[in-house]
Amino acid sequence: MELILASAGSYPRIGDSFEAQRHRRAYAERERGAISEAEWREVEDETAIAVVREQAAAGLDVVTDGQVRWYDPISHLARHCEHVQINGLLRYFDTNFYFRQPVVSGPLRRLRPVLRRELEVARSATDRVVKPVLTGPYTLACGSILEGGYRSRRELARAYADVLAEEVADLAHAGVALIQVDEPELLRHPEDADVVRDGLARLAAVRGRAHLALYTYFGDALPVWDELMTMPVDIVGLDLTYGPKLADRIAEGGAPKMLALGAVDGRNTKLETAETLFRVLDRVLPHVRGPVALGPSCGLEFLPRARARAKLETLVRLARAYTDRAGRTA
Amino acid sequence: MSRRKLADLGLDLPLLPTSTVGSFPKPPELVEARAKAARNALTRGELDRLERRATEFWVRTQEELDLDVLVDGEQYRGDMVAYFAATLEGFASGGLVRSYGNRYYHKPVIVGPVRWKAPITVEWWRWTQALTGRPVKGMLTGPYTIMDWSFNDYYPDRRSACLALAREVRKELEALLEAGARIVQIDEPALSVRPEELGFAVEAMHTVVDGLPAYYIVHACFGAFETIYPGLLDLPVENLDLAISHSALDLLAMFEKDPFTKDLSLGVLDVHSHATESPDEVAARIRRGTAVLPADRIWVDPDCGLKTRTVEESRAKLAAMMAGVRAVRAAAAAAAGR
Repeated sequence: MELILASAGSYPRIGDSFEAQRHRRAYAERERGAISEAEWREVEDETAIAVVREQAAAGLDVVTDGQVRWYDPISHLARHCEHVQINGLLRYFDTNFYFRQPVVSGPLRRLRPVLRRELEVARSATDRVVKPVLTGPYTLACGSILEGGYRSRRELARAYADVLAEEVADLAHAGVALIQVDEPELLRHPEDADVVRDGLARLAAVRGRAHLALYTYFGDALPVWDELMTMPVDIVGLDLTYGPKLADRIAEGGAPKMLALGAVDGRNTKLETAETLFRVLDRVLPHVRGPVALGPSCGLEFLPRARARAKLETLVRLARAYTDRAGRTA
Repeated sequence: MSRRKLADLGLDLPLLPTSTVGSFPKPPELVEARAKAARNALTRGELDRLERRATEFWVRTQEELDLDVLVDGEQYRGDMVAYFAATLEGFASGGLVRSYGNRYYHKPVIVGPVRWKAPITVEWWRWTQALTGRPVKGMLTGPYTIMDWSFNDYYPDRRSACLALAREVRKELEALLEAGARIVQIDEPALSVRPEELGFAVEAMHTVVDGLPAYYIVHACFGAFETIYPGLLDLPVENLDLAISHSALDLLAMFEKDPFTKDLSLGVLDVHSHATESPDEVAARIRRGTAVLPADRIWVDPDCGLKTRTVEESRAKLAAMMAGVRAVRAAAAAAAGR
C-alpha cells in the first residue's frame, strides 16, 4: 500500500521566537504605512518559502504554501471580486479563529488572478508536489452575506464557482498536478450536496490534466458518504477525528475514490501515537485499492508552529514505521 | 428587567442601563511596558503602577461619559482565557496561534487536573471599585470558553474538561462575591461553536452560579446564535449580552419568533470598525431592540471589548452610544409624561 504524505492546507505563519515573528512585525509595519507593498510582498514570499521548506523537511510528499497570504479562508478569494465588500468578523466553524464575511451586492467578477503567483513562489522553493488550495464555492457562499445580484445561496455558489473556475484554469495552465478544494460546509448542510456537486463540476470542466481533491473537515462525513463518493473529483479528503464510524464505513464497503485520510488531529496539540494511528490504518487500508494520502485532519494553522511541525514529523515517522511493519508482514 | 433582583442587591439603575463589555485599549506607554516586562526589562512593580494608572484613567473616562455600570478595563490582561489559565493549576502556556488578521495569542494547554489555587480577579475588582461610587462588574471567563479555547492534553473529552473547569470557576466567583461584587459578567464567546454541546455548557453554568447571589450577565459574541436559540435561554443567568450591531440585527428577528425571556444587553457599537457610529444609528439600533423587548429589559453596550480600538476611537464610540441612549431615554420620558 502506497502512502502519500500530504499537507491539508494552511500552516502557521509565525513561531514563538522573535526571529520567527518577522511576518507579524511586517504586518504591523504595513498597517502603519512603515513599509511599502513591495517590501510586504517580499516578507510574504519569504514566509511562504519557509513554510514550504518546513513541510518538505518534515518529509511530506505533497506540500502547500500554507495559505500564508490568506487573511482567512473566506475573504481571501472573495475580496478579489467585483461587488464584494468585506464585513465584520464571524467565528470560523468551531475554531477560535475568525473570518471576515464578504458582502455580495451584485454580479461577481474576478478582478485579478489570485493563486497563480502564490503557486509560483511556492514551487520555486521545493521539488515536492505543490498543491494549491481553494475554498470551494459552496463554503464561500455560506460564509458570505448576500445583499444583491443573486436570489439565493445556490445562485451565489454557482457564481463563486465561475470565479473559481478561472483560478482553476490558471492553475491547470501552469501545469499543477493536484488542486485541493475545501468544502467543509457540506458537512453542516448535507441537503445542499447537489450545490456542491454543481460547483465542483464547473471546476472539473476546466481542470485540464490536474487532479481535483475535495476536502471536508470539522465534522463527521459519514452522513454524506455516498454523495462524496460520486462527486466529480479524483480524491476525497476526510477528517477522521470526529469518531470511529467513518473508518468503520470505509472498512465495510471500501471506497471507489482515492482517499486522503485526515488521521492526525490538526486541532489539538496532543501528538498521535503508533497505537492510535495504526488502529485507523489497520481498519481502513485493507479495504481500499490504490494509493492513499495520509495527513492532518485539517490545515495546521490552528496549532502553534512548533507543534504543527511536530505533528508532521510524527506523521512521517509513524507512516514509515507502519510501512516497514506492513513490509515485514507481507 | 430583573429589577427585583437588582433591587435586592441594592442596585438602582436607570432605564437602558449602559455598560461596556470589559476591555479597553491599553495606552501606548502600557503596551510598551508590557512588551518590556515580557523581556524582563521592566519590574513587576513598575508595570503594576502603569496598569493602575491606566485603570484609573478608564474609570474616570467611564464616569465622564456617564456610564452606569463600570468595568476595570482589563489593563492587566492579555487574552481572556490565557489570563485565567496562567493562574489555574493544570495549565501550561502554549505557543502562539492566530485569532484573526495579525492577532495572535498564547493558547493554553491543559496538561493535568485543573485546580483554583487563589483569587484571580478579586484584587483588581476591589481596587477598581474603591475608585468609584458606581457599580463595577466582576469579570470572569466561563468554563466552556476556557475549555474550547485551550488545547486539551489531559481530560478524556471536552465535557469532562468543561465541568472540571466549572467547579474551579465557581471558586473564583465565590471569592468575587465575598469581596462585594453584585453584578458579574461571565464571558462565553465560544458558546455557539458546537450546538450539540450546549447541554453541558448550560450544566457547567449551573455549576458556576447556582445558589450564589448576584446579577449575572453572559457575554457571547461573533457566534452563530441561530444554532443555539432558544436553547440559550436555559442558561441560569439574568442577562444575555449578544453582538448585534454588525449582524444587521437579525438576532432580533429570531426573538420575534421565539420570545426572549431574559434581559438583553444590546451590543450597538461595532468594535472592529474604525468608523464611529452616529447617535442616530445607536438610537435606531436601540429602537430595534425596544420593538421586540420592553425597554426596561434592555441594557446598552458595545458588541465586545474595545481593546482593538484606539483610546480616541473608544471614547468617540462610547460618546455616540451615550448620546443615542440619552435620546431614547428622553423620548421614553416624554412619552411617559404625555
